[in-house]
Amino acid sequence: MKEALVLVHRLGAHPDSRCWFVSWSPTGTLLASCGGDKAIRIWGREGDSWVCKNVLQDGHQRTVRKVAWSPCGNYLASASFDATTCIWKKKNNDFESLTVLEGHENEVKCVAWAPSGNLLATCSRDKSVWVWEVDEEDEYECVTVVNSHTQDVKHVVWHPTQELLASASYDNNICIYKEEDDDWECRATLQGHASTVWSLSFDPTGQRLASCSDDRTVKIWKEYPDQSGPGDVLWKCVCTLSGYHGRTVYDVAWCRLTGALATACGDDAVRVFKEDESSDPDQPVFSLAAQVTKAHSQDVNCVAWNPKEPGLLASCSDNGEIAIWRFQEEN
Amino acid sequence: MAADGAALLSLVEEFVSGLQDSKAKDAATGVRDGQFTILQLVEALGLSLTSSQPHTRARGVQLLSEVLQDCYGNLTEREVEVLIAFYENRLKDHFVITPHVLNGLRALTKSTVLPPGSAVSMLRSLFQDIPVQSLKMEERSYVYNMLISLMESREAELKGLGADFVFGFVQSMDGERDPRNLLLAFQIANNIIRRSYDLGTFTEELFEVTSCYFPIDFTPPPNDPHGITKEELIQALRAVLTGTPKFAEFLLPLIIEKLDSDVQSAKLDSLQTLTACVSQYEHKDLAEFLEGLWASLRREVFQTSSEKIESAGLTALTALTSCLSRSVLNSDSEDSLRTFLDLVLNDCKHHLCEPDLKLVWPSAKLLQAACSASTRASHIVTAAVMPSLIEQYSSRTQCSHRRTLLEVVQRFVQSVKISQSLENEESVFLAFSQPLCNMVFSALTESNSSLQITATSVLTSLAQQTGLLLDSDIELAVDHLTRLLLTEEDDRVSLAVVECAGALAQLYPAAFITKLIPRLKKEMFSEPMEQDNRREPSELHSHNAVRQRCLSALAAVSKQPSVVLESTPVLLEVLSSAHTGSASFSVEEVVLACRSLQRIAEQVQDTEKTGRCFHDIIIPRLLSLALQAALQGEGSSGCRSPLVEEVVLSAMVPVISTSCSRLQPTLAGQTASRAVSLFLDGDVSFLPDNSFPSHIQLLKQGDSWSQSQMVCLLMGCMCSLPCSVEVPQVDQLLSQLEEMSCTCSHPLSYTAAAKCFAGLVNKRPLGDSLDSLIQRTMKRVCSELDCTTSAVRTQAFTLLIWVAKALLLRYHPLSTALTDKLFSLLDDAELGATAANGFSLLMSDSVDVLNRSYHADVRIMYRQRFFSENSAKLVQGFNAAPQEKKPNYLKALSNIVNKLPKQVQVTELPALLSLLLEALSCPDQGVQLSTLSCLEPVLIDPPLALIQQLEALVSRLIALICSPAMNVRIASLRCIHALSRFPVHEILPFRARVLQALAPPLDDRKRLVRSEAVQARGEWFLVGSPGGR
Amino acid sequence: MSGGTRLENANPVVFQRSGERLLTASEEDEDVHDPIDDREIFDLIRSINDPEHPLSLEELNVVEQVRVKVNDAESTVEVEFTPTIPHCSMATLIGLSVKVKLLRSLPDRFKIDVHITPGTHASEEAVNKQLADKERVAAALENSSLLEVVNQCLSTRSI
Repeated sequence: MKEALVLVHRLGAHPDSRCWFVSWSPTGTLLASCGGDKAIRIWGREGDSWVCKNVLQDGHQRTVRKVAWSPCGNYLASASFDATTCIWKKKNNDFESLTVLEGHENEVKCVAWAPSGNLLATCSRDKSVWVWEVDEEDEYECVTVVNSHTQDVKHVVWHPTQELLASASYDNNICIYKEEDDDWECRATLQGHASTVWSLSFDPTGQRLASCSDDRTVKIWKEYPDQSGPGDVLWKCVCTLSGYHGRTVYDVAWCRLTGALATACGDDAVRVFKEDESSDPDQPVFSLAAQVTKAHSQDVNCVAWNPKEPGLLASCSDNGEIAIWRFQEEN
Repeated sequence: MAADGAALLSLVEEFVSGLQDSKAKDAATGVRDGQFTILQLVEALGLSLTSSQPHTRARGVQLLSEVLQDCYGNLTEREVEVLIAFYENRLKDHFVITPHVLNGLRALTKSTVLPPGSAVSMLRSLFQDIPVQSLKMEERSYVYNMLISLMESREAELKGLGADFVFGFVQSMDGERDPRNLLLAFQIANNIIRRSYDLGTFTEELFEVTSCYFPIDFTPPPNDPHGITKEELIQALRAVLTGTPKFAEFLLPLIIEKLDSDVQSAKLDSLQTLTACVSQYEHKDLAEFLEGLWASLRREVFQTSSEKIESAGLTALTALTSCLSRSVLNSDSEDSLRTFLDLVLNDCKHHLCEPDLKLVWPSAKLLQAACSASTRASHIVTAAVMPSLIEQYSSRTQCSHRRTLLEVVQRFVQSVKISQSLENEESVFLAFSQPLCNMVFSALTESNSSLQITATSVLTSLAQQTGLLLDSDIELAVDHLTRLLLTEEDDRVSLAVVECAGALAQLYPAAFITKLIPRLKKEMFSEPMEQDNRREPSELHSHNAVRQRCLSALAAVSKQPSVVLESTPVLLEVLSSAHTGSASFSVEEVVLACRSLQRIAEQVQDTEKTGRCFHDIIIPRLLSLALQAALQGEGSSGCRSPLVEEVVLSAMVPVISTSCSRLQPTLAGQTASRAVSLFLDGDVSFLPDNSFPSHIQLLKQGDSWSQSQMVCLLMGCMCSLPCSVEVPQVDQLLSQLEEMSCTCSHPLSYTAAAKCFAGLVNKRPLGDSLDSLIQRTMKRVCSELDCTTSAVRTQAFTLLIWVAKALLLRYHPLSTALTDKLFSLLDDAELGATAANGFSLLMSDSVDVLNRSYHADVRIMYRQRFFSENSAKLVQGFNAAPQEKKPNYLKALSNIVNKLPKQVQVTELPALLSLLLEALSCPDQGVQLSTLSCLEPVLIDPPLALIQQLEALVSRLIALICSPAMNVRIASLRCIHALSRFPVHEILPFRARVLQALAPPLDDRKRLVRSEAVQARGEWFLVGSPGGR
Repeated sequence: MSGGTRLENANPVVFQRSGERLLTASEEDEDVHDPIDDREIFDLIRSINDPEHPLSLEELNVVEQVRVKVNDAESTVEVEFTPTIPHCSMATLIGLSVKVKLLRSLPDRFKIDVHITPGTHASEEAVNKQLADKERVAAALENSSLLEVVNQCLSTRSI
């Protein structure tokens, strides 16, 4: 293996607490993190080091589970165990709380912006997925509540180009949703994982979806046109990565620039997989390109590729730390 | 008189119209001084009292009432009569006047010349005209106080009112809400009940109007100015509710109802109230509620997770059973005790047959609570349960089941012991004595150690039941105990067996003299090698263990003089055989033999008989053996007598000093002169085996340590005698001891000489001779200490510290000179650290000399006194000392503070806190450890000064968690644990920091450290967390 | 516990408590490293209070030393617990208490797995899955009424 993950920087981001999630701004210059200390922190590069630019406190009463940047980079959404989603607006170099989206019965586990920036999806332990519409006056309106899962919904993610939404759940399934007559409907249920599906990531084209699970595997799903009816979609599992992960895989991230696939695992490791370019597109082969077994001293919760700088990867852990890595490929 | 009249009128005028309140005082003074009479005042008030303006009338009555408050004692009966008639009339007046009317009546009720009949008429008017609960709080208290006064002085008249009085009171207090007034009202209600006022048809009303406050739910406001506690209200109300059996039919259902509450304190109050009321009741008061009460009690004891509730429930059951036991049996009445116990047995007995289930214990406890209530109850209960327990025991095969059953039996035997304490009847267990003995003996032969241990305690309990065990049972028991002593390897079992043997020997000495002691002796003196040359080392080891158990058993059984006379010769024979080598006893075994002798000296009864034994036989024999060994010489450690070893000698000292401290004065005097003549003159005439050389000079042995160290036995003889015993040749003795302590080079010898010197000095009478002795010694000590090249500085220091202690204990004025010298040595390059440690010796109790049980002159609070006289010196010395000497001061300080009583530590802490915190950051581990150990107890109930320094304290403790020394890590973690019990609002800001700091020690390489960290962290997690604190 | 409510299992079997761990000479020796062993983990959890009975988990045989496995070198701990009855509604709460006790008491390098003893509870799989989901555990501990019950189970009893 000539590729390697080199540590660029390590930050104590959420002291005395866990860091649940990190997210790069669309320009790749800022990194937002959130954690059990109920706070959101914004990090930026200064010279060789990374410094905390802002701390967003008092927005949430409990753990902040995930954060998401709007495609324009001017808004930040945060999902919290306090059953709310907060929208923050960037003003000069500061963030102010714009609005609080309420409605979920209990913990909101994830929030994601659609590529257009006009739609927002949230999901919760209350088993539902909500889609919100944003207008020019920054008003948010819930347009749909979908109850396709039988258990908590852990994650939602939008297709990179289309208005297509995917969700992952404690019920071991993945659901794919599309809008139909002003209503969002589940168009496909992806079954195959043996335990909770923790996270999802589309490939750069959006034709494939990677999922990771408590069953210690990563699966790659591919979209096929469905013969049975127009508009319906069919997703098939074309590859399962098993045997690599020692415990629950908490996150998976597909790099839009390089196509590398990174995972965050409960065995404290960060791993990067590459696809064999020669392999059959219907039976792709992924191999482990690099791994750091003790990337953190505790569970790794999240991995995120920088959207502009190829190979730059952020990870975060239960010990409250963020690490920034450089994935160096074979020359 | 005319002038006075004018003055009076102007006073009245100024008070009523001028609203000058101070004039009331002037008027009162006038009446008291005889300037005018109260009736003249009423006359002067005439116009205001008849004014058409209610406020003017009110003002008028107010003046009169306030004057009466001061002057009720001076009134004549006639005046009182007139005034009462006036006030009664005013009760019907305008409401603004009422408070003043009540105030006036309150004063009049305190008068001793209240005319007959006036109390009754006053109360009739009051009850008729005044709705008490519409008055203000203070005015209501006037009414209650009036009632209390009248109940004290006019009980007969009040009783003449019949039930009207009770009815009036009930109406008056109905709806009272103020806790101060409630205390008064409860007092009145209590009087009504205890003094047998006629309740008429109002029993239920009186109960209702008071019981509506039950259970008391009252939390005093913060900074409560009245100081009324919930407990006071509970006690006052309980006295009312439980005061009469007439309330039984109302109270018992109420208790049953409140026991069902979810509130713990309500349950507890209900149970305690039940316990209190049944002591006043007869069985017929209880009859119809027995089933309900039992169901509630059973439920509480079966289900509760609170020990308080359980114990209150059991106490209530005992009280209830006791009440039923008081009923006199006659042929036509139902036996309510038996009926009730049938209920209890019916619900509980079958659980005793399930020794592995949870309810076996609650059931056993309930049955035992009932059993302990009376002899009759214990007969009924034991007759019902013992056969099935005995049957269960023999049918169960699992050891854990058998043990539970045996423990249940044990508790029954003990519960009956409580109930029979006053009666000399035969044991209720007599019918079961054989099966019980069989059960115990069978358990003693089991291989399960906890079963054996339980059996020994049952055996002890059975032995204490009068007349239960036969001689043959005792003999069998002794056989079992002997067998276990000789064969059982488990330490816990041996310990229990020895304890049991001790208890039985106290009651039945004969069997132990004839059976146990000869058997133990035979075992100890049998040589394993002689019996069988091919024994394994492990068997040899086990033979040593057997000997050790025999030695401690010999001590345990020796409480009765008859036993002591048999056991001590065996122990002395161990020492002499060890000395002669006729039997191979190890040094450790010889030490144990001495310990056993010491224990016997401590515990024997009948000091006359056994005192002689120690005086005539044991002490001379010990001295003789030690002297023989010393004279044999030092040799190499393999071939010399074990009796010259320091550990053995040190173990002999307390045998001698304990027995000397308990001798009769004449025997003690003899011992003293014998010891002095032996050590000063070489007189060996009183020693047995008298074959010693002449001219022995034990105190002038510069070269032979084996002889010089004998001085510690001299200390044993001389330093534990009562003060009244004259010490012969004392000056010569002191001078030789001083010489030895300053010149001898053998540590045990010069230390023992110094201690012996100090022990004698402590008891010398005050006066010039003592002063000059001290000054002479002090001079010699100082000259050695001041000479840095002296070879005997350590010796001089040792004498200094012991003499300083001897004088400090008795508050001798010269002690200051010596302790000042000690302080100055803290700067000494060579002795500084030793001096710092010396303060620990100075402040702690010494075991072998200078303590109260050896009749030393020890004043109370000498430590506090020393501390308060010297703490400033210490602080100054610390500030002035060069950096490298500072640790000595801190160590001295922590040694001193460590030994102070906690209350003193708490009061002195503020002044010393900064120094103690400094000591925590001192790099010396000894200082850290000593400071931590003195902080830990203070932290349990922290003084304010400590809370104010929390930041510094927390930081320093956290820093010590990383100490390389395990003990420091453990001690600092314990202190951090103790901090978790500080007031929550004070420590909450530190929670995150402390939890983070406590994470690394969870991974400490030492398990003991981890365990402390786990406990501390667990408690800190609960700080400020729901369900925590 | 209210007087009126009935316990699910009013008279459970009570087991004897093991004695305190005996102190060894090597434990008092500064220079010896004492590994974290099964007994040490068991000592952490055996005194946890049952949420219903005034008894410890050890006395109810809910936890046993043989069902504790620790690997100090690999930083893993596995604990199996056995509910007193197969339909015990307190199983999740008991498991949560065990897990929280271990989280608070062990170095954070440890991976802690708490499961129901196979075949001893009707909803074994569901309970195990919940206990393994750290997101759910974290959210549960932010719920103050649940935290209160857990803290009571972990308190030294003194009422």
